[in-house]
Amino acid sequence: MLYISFSREPVFESKHWSLYTMNRKRSLISDTFKVKKRRLGTESCFGVQVNGKNSILQDVPLDTKGALQYLASLFPRKLFNDTLPPIVLKHQLYSIKQDRTLVDRQLNELKDQGEILMFQLGFDTDAFAVVFAQDYKVKALAAEAGRETLGTVQKFLETVLPSCMDLSFNKEKMLKKFLFRDQEITQLVKSGVLTVRDAGSWWLAIPNSGRFTKFFIQGRKAVLGMIKKSKYKEVLQTDLECRKMTSHVKLGIQYHIHDIIGAELVECVPTTSGILLRLTDT
Amino acid sequence: MLGFLSARHIGLDDPLRLKRVEITRRVLSLELNKDRDVEQIHGNGVNTLDIEAIEGRYMLSGGADGVIVIYDLENCSRKPQYTCKSVCTVGRSNRHVHQFSVETVQWYPHDTGMFTSSSFDKTLKVWDTETLLPAEVFHFEGNVYCHHMSPIARKHSLIAVGTKDPKVQLCDLKSGSRIHILQGHRGEVLSVKWSPRYEHILATASTDSRVRLWDVRKASGSLFTLDQHNDEKSKASSEAANTAHNGRVNGLCFTSDGLYLLTTGTDDRMRLWNSSTGENTLVNYGKVSNESRKGLKFTVSSGCSPEFVFVPCGGTIAMYALYTGELITMLRGHYNNVDCCEFHPDFQDLYSGGKDCNILAWVPTPRNPAIENEDEGSKKTGGQSSFNPAFQDAWSSSDEEG
Repeated sequence: MLYISFSREPVFESKHWSLYTMNRKRSLISDTFKVKKRRLGTESCFGVQVNGKNSILQDVPLDTKGALQYLASLFPRKLFNDTLPPIVLKHQLYSIKQDRTLVDRQLNELKDQGEILMFQLGFDTDAFAVVFAQDYKVKALAAEAGRETLGTVQKFLETVLPSCMDLSFNKEKMLKKFLFRDQEITQLVKSGVLTVRDAGSWWLAIPNSGRFTKFFIQGRKAVLGMIKKSKYKEVLQTDLECRKMTSHVKLGIQYHIHDIIGAELVECVPTTSGILLRLTDT
Repeated sequence: MLGFLSARHIGLDDPLRLKRVEITRRVLSLELNKDRDVEQIHGNGVNTLDIEAIEGRYMLSGGADGVIVIYDLENCSRKPQYTCKSVCTVGRSNRHVHQFSVETVQWYPHDTGMFTSSSFDKTLKVWDTETLLPAEVFHFEGNVYCHHMSPIARKHSLIAVGTKDPKVQLCDLKSGSRIHILQGHRGEVLSVKWSPRYEHILATASTDSRVRLWDVRKASGSLFTLDQHNDEKSKASSEAANTAHNGRVNGLCFTSDGLYLLTTGTDDRMRLWNSSTGENTLVNYGKVSNESRKGLKFTVSSGCSPEFVFVPCGGTIAMYALYTGELITMLRGHYNNVDCCEFHPDFQDLYSGGKDCNILAWVPTPRNPAIENEDEGSKKTGGQSSFNPAFQDAWSSSDEEG
């Protein structure tokens, strides 16, 4: 099967007179016209023949939960001395599973079942962090062990989390529905379980996650900088993985690669020597 | 294909099924074709296109220099090679031409004797097609970004106009009055669209990040505002509550059955809403890059089995599956930014205009003529261009020659 790398095709080439390249373009076929021969590689529902090497994980068919577990395994626990539960960003899942709507739907189901929790990280309105509920509870209580706020945090985790799946809480809800007093709310903010959103409302947060956010932003900037410095602002994925990382990239290159692909900061171009990551123009 | 035809013949399949399947196949194989061209009249960017709904024969285009051109899309020449010629133009020499850029043009929905155009010279003109003279001119205080007339209305002939003013104005063609205003927005109104299902429902999009749905018979204000978080106030910061997008909302399009509404915003997102409840269906299209400071004109296919939406993204047109959010393909061909695109439902053609002054016609690839001794292995249906011996590889890879 012919593979054409469209990496630097000048725009005017694709006007009327380039039917030649158009001839070799893979054609989109609707599902109802079934192609009788099975080709190697995966097909989207519109029959676009995609070579298996295109996706990052080609061998393992992962559902959303499996993908979450895989990404959680990439998270460096030792870096934070095991005080943080493995944090996965929602858009990292899009780099593993191509169908975003399905991923969103399955994530919402998992959230409603109480298996995962979602948090707003604060640096980007669209970036949500996903943590397994079990891990979160264990780490949050461990962080509080020995302090006087332990009781309040425990009460919060047991009463609020199972019933209410929101990302943020406002004062009314805390006082009336869950019967927390003002001092208890202050204690929760002090312990890191709640973060101030604006007057009278709070985000749900991960205690001690400030360092994570700092390392994450630093690492993302460093990886994008590496791609920007290269000629033509593109780099092969395998090449990027083998490069020596600066000290700024503390969370691991794989973690950041999933992040920048899922957030669409780079586009993945399939080539004969693997996936090419090219910086998008914005 | 023959299977579908025989199934319809015997009565196993509904006739609509064959139609839908074939239309979907044609839309999936859209590409530029050397046989179809649109004559280049505009000297400046093409801002807007509209194809009339009655015959599907004439197309209006409005340019950044104020020029309006009418093209004849029908091929009467009996040859596959065809250039869509312009029938008439309202050029710079016309006394009544718009002074500044034409932002929106629209045919009168019931016949081609009349069309309307609105422009940055703060006017909305209603033209008579025969004489190319404006029958009516409406003046406004601010730039007119867009206007729309309901395609199905029988009881009213209102044109909704979105201007720099946060108030949406309704101009009545029958009486010439402009006293009906819709208040509620707090920023410039970048896009207005009537619902193709109910003649009194209007959607408006504005720079204050909100999209409102109105029933024009109701005196007291909008029906509801579209909320991207579906009332889960917890997901957003408090300033972003009740907004449709995290930036300016600059494009609106109803699906052809009127049940869903698509909106695009400068936060690089496109959202699909249920138009009767205002609920965000949470279909994730990914990043739909959008840098337009004015309205963005995009379009939805009609008649296909999974519908497709064509959105101009920079210099290309992105084609997404409507309900799953999957990116099908990017149509590349323009030299500069694409500003508008319009789908011709009868022939499944897509016409797009952009800053490079070209209007490109994207045509479904013609079918390969069946060759008698074609073997089983090459039975690939869908879009194959005819074999031209000049393009075949002439070198041989056999080892015998070496």
